[in-house]
Parts: sequence; structure tokens; C-alpha cells
Amino acid sequence: MIYLDHAAATPVSKKALAKMLPYFSDEFFNPSSPYLPAAHLRQNYEFAKGQIAHTIGAKGNDIVITAGATESINLAFTAAEGLSGNILILETEHPSVRATARALVENSAKGGKSPLELREIKVDKTGLIDLDDLRQKIDENTIFISVSLANNELGTIQPLAEISEIIEKERSHRLELVKDKKPTSVLPIILHSDASQALNLVDISVARLGVDLLTINAAKVGGPKGVGALYVGRGIKLNPIIVGGGQEAGLRSGTENVPGVMGFAVAAEETKEHLAGNRKKYEKFAQILKNKLQESPIEPLFLGNKKHQLANFVPVCFPGIDAERIIYKLEEKQVYLSTGAACAANKGAKSHVLTAIGLTDSEIAGSLRISLGVLNTEENVKKAGELIVQAVSEEFARVSGDQAQKQESKNA
Amino acid sequence: MPKNAKSNGKTVFLGMSGGVDSSLSAVLLKKQGYNVVGVYMKNWSKDLPGMKCPWAEDLADAKRVAVKLGIDFRVFDFETEYKQKVVDYMLDEFKKGNTPNPDIMCNQEIKFKLFYEVAMEQGADFIATGHYARTGVDTAGVPALLRAKDENKDQTYFLYRISDEALSKTIFPIGDMLKPEVKELAAKKGLDNAYKKESMGVCFVGEVGIKDFLKEYVDIEPGEIRDIDTNKQLGVHEGAIFYTVGQRHGLNIGGGLPYYVVKKDISNNIVYVSRNLNNAQLWTKELILKDVFIRGSEAGKQLANSNKAKIMVRIRHRAPLIQATITDYNKDTQEVKVIFLTEIKHPASGQSVVFYQGDECLGGGIIA
Repeated sequence: MIYLDHAAATPVSKKALAKMLPYFSDEFFNPSSPYLPAAHLRQNYEFAKGQIAHTIGAKGNDIVITAGATESINLAFTAAEGLSGNILILETEHPSVRATARALVENSAKGGKSPLELREIKVDKTGLIDLDDLRQKIDENTIFISVSLANNELGTIQPLAEISEIIEKERSHRLELVKDKKPTSVLPIILHSDASQALNLVDISVARLGVDLLTINAAKVGGPKGVGALYVGRGIKLNPIIVGGGQEAGLRSGTENVPGVMGFAVAAEETKEHLAGNRKKYEKFAQILKNKLQESPIEPLFLGNKKHQLANFVPVCFPGIDAERIIYKLEEKQVYLSTGAACAANKGAKSHVLTAIGLTDSEIAGSLRISLGVLNTEENVKKAGELIVQAVSEEFARVSGDQAQKQESKNA
Repeated sequence: MPKNAKSNGKTVFLGMSGGVDSSLSAVLLKKQGYNVVGVYMKNWSKDLPGMKCPWAEDLADAKRVAVKLGIDFRVFDFETEYKQKVVDYMLDEFKKGNTPNPDIMCNQEIKFKLFYEVAMEQGADFIATGHYARTGVDTAGVPALLRAKDENKDQTYFLYRISDEALSKTIFPIGDMLKPEVKELAAKKGLDNAYKKESMGVCFVGEVGIKDFLKEYVDIEPGEIRDIDTNKQLGVHEGAIFYTVGQRHGLNIGGGLPYYVVKKDISNNIVYVSRNLNNAQLWTKELILKDVFIRGSEAGKQLANSNKAKIMVRIRHRAPLIQATITDYNKDTQEVKVIFLTEIKHPASGQSVVFYQGDECLGGGIIA
């Protein structure tokens, strides 16, 4: 098998799995129970949370453990509940952000208050945020902004620090406006970033990024599925989605997923430790793959931003080719890759990300998402490159053969 | 590519569902030298409560097979037409208290009309489907619809209303095979991983069941279940349209001998039942059929022109062929009377009675 879809899922690392296993059986206690073994478990759990938090430059108490990135995002958006004004998201955000934002806006209309407004910020042809568009769309009524740290289809890394600077300006502006007027409150403006795809390749520090809320996910970095976290900056008020016994400081009730968090902690630390090395490694692999793909009969169009792109992402378009056919051809050779996001692809929907960067329908149909990772080696990347070129060549021959045949029968 | 004389590189548009029958059909057509274009007909994609519509997976399965065989693949989007011609028809019939057969309508209006027309527009010489049926030609060159070799799988019951024009351009590649042969050959061709399951029954309703489907689209009120003999109320039903005359289950009125639905009063939303399996309403010796469609083949024409004809009929898919006499065919009202040799359990109105002579399907009609 050659796996080229690490942006969809990663295998749980051996170390993480080994760490998790005892917590399914021997260390099975409920961390909230009153006896000593449970109390020890509580300590281990909190320590692991601290390890996770440290990888993004935060403390254990600053994060809420969730059942994955989607839940983290849903929880993050509750910061805007009950407020009036507008929400800004990038037009290329993952469906979990888009759908959450839309649901929030829809629900806000039910309360009788003036409903929230959703505004989408444009990206350029590389998927990079159009900062001028942000400056234009942000105003005194903006309360919440969500921009992913790295896009899940293109790997384009957004300049979060610059974005938070713009937000900081707006904050100062608001304070300026109410100066001398003794206001009781100033409308907050909260920045959330979905960093699910970026955790294993970007050195994340919440302070440097200037975010108030940040979503991370174990499953993308060698941890188990169904575990995520939300960083919650000081002073940010959220409304719990799941209520009950009051775990996670009341923000996420339910008995803690101890094995999951143990695995996440190990995976997050491993990832952080190998960050620089992995980046170099994947840059090299990506280059090998790109060079190989140049041998295709159709010139590949590499998507995303060359300067600001996750090193493991090779989104590529072969204009005129049906990318789905390439995927089915390659799966027979145990080479696995995808078009767009896995969840969007199986709905048969056209990628909103590729539409946003201005690709034509036929270019979108010809686009593959290759994301490298722990299962890749120089050899298997080379091999994969050859097999992709072979599949593209076969498809190219089939399509041009068809056309030649049609031409033939027309002439006859 | 080796091409035999018959196919001679002609283009066939094959309806592919992702199932084993249409997948193997693709293999066979390709082997015969046809230029095969696989087509997925997207007829329905709406999810229902608790049931994800599997269209995207089905499409992927179909496409996977097409890619494996190296054939062209297209998607025809018929959702609007399918809703109008099949689903709305089905809902209307249920509202009237009938039990319609959407598969028959789907073949008549979508697969062997719309699909046929669009395929021809796009350069097809023939269309093909993975139905279990065969075709022949009479002496005048008119196509005949013939029963499949696999008597157990024969699907001509669902095909009796398709036009002669479409039939004359239709290939049923697996009509000469038995289902186990199809499965075995598909496995041999390495297709067993490529497809998942066989599509069955009302294609879009899938596992949801017709009841849940109807609940989504029709306003349904609970009503009384009454004993037809005593007129006493025995219980409450969810909605009379859910019940079919002759039905034995699902009455939820508990204990003792089973009850059978013998009559539905749609306007008053009352379902009448009886414990008496001999109740006259449950049995009949003759039926009036409406919307009769008689095929244009020689044998079909003979039937249409005769006053009285002894033929074989089928009152349900996979039901045994039984002897019957067809009389009083009125070409203007498209009605006909069917008289059976002995009493049969009364089939539901809205279902079809299909006519056969030997291997040939001559047409049929809808029970009034």
C-alpha cells in the first residue's frame, strides 16, 4: 500500500497506541471517582492535557478536550451566541466551520433579536486570504472571525498573525470610539482558527498567532480518532454544547476519554519533536513527487501557495482528466489518494475551495489532493509518482483515443 | 480490440447501478466488441430521516467498475423527471388507496424512455441494462420481449410497458444467464470487490421501507380498524394508505387468529379486516385491468385483435404463471377483463397483471 491521504486520516503511532492500551483495561477508572487509583488517573489525565496544550504554547487549563475537531469548532462558535453583529469566515473554510457558522446565523434569527450576518472573506488564486477584503468586511459590528491555519484541500497557510493585527486595530478603534463615554461594555471580537491540518507541520503558538480560540485534532497527527481539543483564551465565554457532570470546567460534560487523551498527548509531543525534520523530509518528498508528475503527458498544475503551504501537501490538477478515474485506477494498485476533502468528495459535490481559487469545472474535475505523511518513504513516493503518471497517461490516451475515433466516424 | 461482426464497434450506453448485474453486463458487452459507455442514472439523492440515500456510493461503485474495464462513464441526472414521472405518480396512487408499482413506471418513463432518448442523442447505437430478460424479433421485424433464462429472476413483469421502439434498440446482456452464473463470472472477472450489493425493490426507497417514505410526503391520519363482519372497531391504524388488501401483518390488534385486510375506505380512512380467510373480498375469479399496454409484436397484435384469448398471466413479480382468459379488450378505454381458471387471492389495485404466451411477454395492464 502507498498511502497519500494523510490529510484525511493518519495511523495511530506505535508510541501513542502503546501509551493508550493500559488505559482501556488496567487503568480503567473514572477519573472523578474518590479513591486513590482514580485520583492517580486524574493526575495522569491532567498531565496529558498539559502536554497537549504545551504543543500549542498553552496550559492544560486553557484547553477543553472534545470528541474531535468538528466538536471543537461547534463549541468555539458558541462564543458568538446571543450577540448581534456579523461573523466573518474564509470562503475556503472546511464544512465543519461553514455549517456551524450557518447554523449559528439561522438560530440567531429565531430569537427575535436582529440576526447575525455571515460574511465570507475572499482568497486569492493560491488560497491565501485577501487581507484587503478582510479590512473591508470587518467593521464595528464584527464579533467573530474564523480562519483556518491551513486549508484542508490546498494546504495553504494563512497569515494568522497579520489577521490578528487587523483585528487588534479594530479592537483599539472600538475602544477609541467609546472613550470618555463611560460605556458599560464594548462589543468583543473573537478570532478562532481551525489548526487541524497544521499541527504536525507548523510550530503553533497561540500567543504568536494572536488567536482567542484554536481547534486541534488528534486523528491528523498520529493520535486516535474522536479526540480533539479547543484552546480557549482567557476571558472568552463559551456555552457548553454537552451538559451533564460538569467535566472540562463545565464546558464539555461526560466521563473523560482517558485513553484518547493519553494517545493524543503522545502523538502531539512526537509531532512537535519531529516538526522541523518532518517539514524538511516532506518538502523533499513533495519535490520528488512534483518532478515525477512533470513527466505526465499533460502538464500538471500545482495548486496552493508555493511559499505558504504545508510541506506535505501536493494538490495537483491535470486539466482534462477525470481525477476520480485516476483514484479508482490507482486503488487497484493499492495507491490511495483523494480528490478534495474526503467528506466533500463522497457527496459528489463540487469542491467550494477549488471553486474559490478560480478553477474551472473541468480543472476541478481533474484535481487530486495528495497529502504525504508518516507512511511515506522516498521510495514509495517515487513509486507513487510513477504510478500516477502511468494512470494519467492511460486516461489521456483513452480520452484522446475517443476523440480521434469520433473524428474518424465523423469523417467517414 | 477484437470486434465480432455483430457488434462491429457499435456504441452501447449501458445503465450501471454499481450492482453485480449491470457490472457483469459491462464486461460481456465489452468482450463482444461493443464500444461501451457506462451511465449512472441519478434518479434520487434525497436522504430520508434515519436513512442516508446511497446514491453517491452507488455512483462510485458503478464508476469504479467502468474505470476497471477502461470504459467511458457518464452521469445522467434525471432527478427532476424521476420525481415527476415516478414518485409523484406513486404518491398519487397511494393517496387513491392503490398499491402502485414504481419500478414498472421507472422502466417505462425513465430507463427505457428518457435514458434511451438521451443515449441516442449522445451517439448510442443501442442501450443496455442488467435486467434479467431477453429480446427476440418477430417475422415482421418487430421486437419481442422474452422471459429470462433464469425463471427465478425474470424481470419482464417490470418491463412489460416499455416501448417497442426502445426495446428494438435494447440489449439485455445477462438475460441468457442464471444468477449464480452471473455471480461466479463476476467474481472470476475480479468484480466482486468492485461492487457492493445488488439493488433491490423500489430503488430509491432502499432500506427505509415504503411506510417511512410515504410519511415524508403524504399527510397521514390515524384511523379505525373495523371488523368487516361485525363493523366493530378493533383498533387503530396509522393511515389507511399503508394497508394493502390481502395483507396479513402489521395490524397490531393482537392475539388469536390472524386478521386480513379485506377492504379500505380511503375517504373515511377506515381499514376493514376479517379473520375469515374465505371472506369474499379476499378472493376473485376475474379482474378488470385499465391502462392496458399490448406489445406490438405479431403475438401481441393477435392478442389485441382477438375477442377472447387463453394465455398465461403473472400477477406479481416472481409469481408463477397461471392460466387466464383475456376478453372484452376495449382499445378506446384501454380496459380488458381477465378471467382466471380458479379463484385467486385478490391482488391489490394499482398492481399489474402481465400477459405471456410461451416465452414471450405480450403486455399487461393495471388492476382497476
